[in-house]
Amino acid sequence: MIMIRANNISMNFGMIKALKNVSFELEAGKILGLVGDNGAGKSTLLKILCGYLQPTSGEIYIEDKRVQFKSSADAMKEGVAITHQFLELVDMATAWENFFMGREITGKGVGPFKLLDINQMKELTRKAIEKYGLSIDLECEVGKLSGEERQIIAVARAIESDPKILLLDESFTLLSLEGREELVNFLKKVNQQHNVTMIIVSHDLELVKNLTHKIMVLRGGEKIFYGDTEEVSVDQIVEFMLPQE
Amino acid sequence: MELANSKSNSRGKSIRNFLGEYYTWIMFIVLYIVAGIIVPNLFTSTTMVTILVQGTTVCLLAFGMTFAMLVGEIDMSIVAVAAFSPMISIMLWEAGLPVPLAMILVLLFGVVVGIFNGLMVTKMKIPSLIQTVAVWWMLSGFVLIVTKGAAKTGLPDAWMFMGRFNVIGRIPLLIPFFVLVLILAIIFARRTVTGRRMYLVGGNADACAAMGIPVDRIKIIAFVMSGVFAALAGYVLSARMGFVSARFAVEWLMPAIAAPVIAGVSMNGGKGNLINVIAGAYLVQLIVMIVRTGGVGGYYTDFVQGVIVFIAILINTFRERLSQ
Repeated sequence: MIMIRANNISMNFGMIKALKNVSFELEAGKILGLVGDNGAGKSTLLKILCGYLQPTSGEIYIEDKRVQFKSSADAMKEGVAITHQFLELVDMATAWENFFMGREITGKGVGPFKLLDINQMKELTRKAIEKYGLSIDLECEVGKLSGEERQIIAVARAIESDPKILLLDESFTLLSLEGREELVNFLKKVNQQHNVTMIIVSHDLELVKNLTHKIMVLRGGEKIFYGDTEEVSVDQIVEFMLPQE
Repeated sequence: MELANSKSNSRGKSIRNFLGEYYTWIMFIVLYIVAGIIVPNLFTSTTMVTILVQGTTVCLLAFGMTFAMLVGEIDMSIVAVAAFSPMISIMLWEAGLPVPLAMILVLLFGVVVGIFNGLMVTKMKIPSLIQTVAVWWMLSGFVLIVTKGAAKTGLPDAWMFMGRFNVIGRIPLLIPFFVLVLILAIIFARRTVTGRRMYLVGGNADACAAMGIPVDRIKIIAFVMSGVFAALAGYVLSARMGFVSARFAVEWLMPAIAAPVIAGVSMNGGKGNLINVIAGAYLVQLIVMIVRTGGVGGYYTDFVQGVIVFIAILINTFRERLSQ
């Protein structure tokens, strides 16, 4: 089954054409690696897929249903979760507040005046991040945590929202080598056990080769290559990415 | 031995955290005691009740301002709302509207002004400072036009009941009402989805939008809270004083800004404890009272108040820097 299909997606920022008629489709349970040089349009495409940006033209289908996201909330309702390049966390808020941002759990109360179930949110946050071997003070402001700890919270938050499609935008950047390996293993496990479709943007081509089933190379907003990861070597990917004479 | 040390360290850390969190209360209590040594009247029950009652206005205004600040905005129109809402409601009462309806209208005006401010700031992208100063002028001007500058006296008994009817000793009914409102506001901010989201939106609006939080709606609700608290402050002041005028609460604008700042509410949004705002408001109220009763001459009053508030803000800034 095709989980996501994009038809002729274009995005203009004034005179700049960030994306030019990009089309692709991805089967359910597959991981797509989106690669390209700076300004190739990777993050723009991801922001369109998660509803943060609206394309100038083009169509998106999820499970063969046409979707038009006006906001990230619309995309989340359709099961699309994302972790952004610059960690969409609120530094002043605690780990559990960040973890349940936008999907808070309520308990006692009347009608719309329900109180937050803070204990349950803390407990679920603790359990979720412990899967990554992370043990932190849940009342600590995330701005005071290390880059790796913050990254894990952001990724774990996206995974725990039980998405159909998980978008990861440079989610490995702030991790140590060990942290990267752990996250790669965890993502593989999530992909296999929960059949979550993933689209990953990363500059680390070895990591992309190791983790993904499909690769799409973008250059100057255009799709240059799309195919099975096994079909291409890292050198070939680099060649696709480089500007042509 | 090690366990005992660890327990003692942990207890010490908890006490330090508690003192750090509620330092505004410590500042208030210390200033009260020091001022009380100089002006012994401060320790009499009459003066204490007076400070408690007089502080209600600045505290309600400060709560309203805090909600705006939590989402990274400011609401300068609060003092105009505090005058406009009771004034127009009283005029409608004079035209035949029953008192209970007029009292409900006070809050409704606060809601309407809040929605207007919120929509202009979020949809038209007008900076909140500019928007709310413009609304402040407009409302104050409107009140001047309809009243020709005259104060309204002879308010109905039912209107002033809350300010004049004493429940225990010299404590008027408005005090338990005021305490209830503050408790509900604190629960709203700390324990409800919308309240918590105000902190998150003030902390990082882009992150909230990316996570599907309706940022504009949360900001509009913050302005509505600000408007409602301003209207409530206006009503409480009028019920206590027995009149309303066009320049009713103007003198409380700066204290209403200073109180949350002293209490550690970030003007950039995302941070602030409403329990401390109560202490901040009463600290400012105390400063005003000390200056007035301490024999500072008329022309010097504002200057001395400003200097003391500035010192309090400096202490807060240094404390925050040290804690970081």
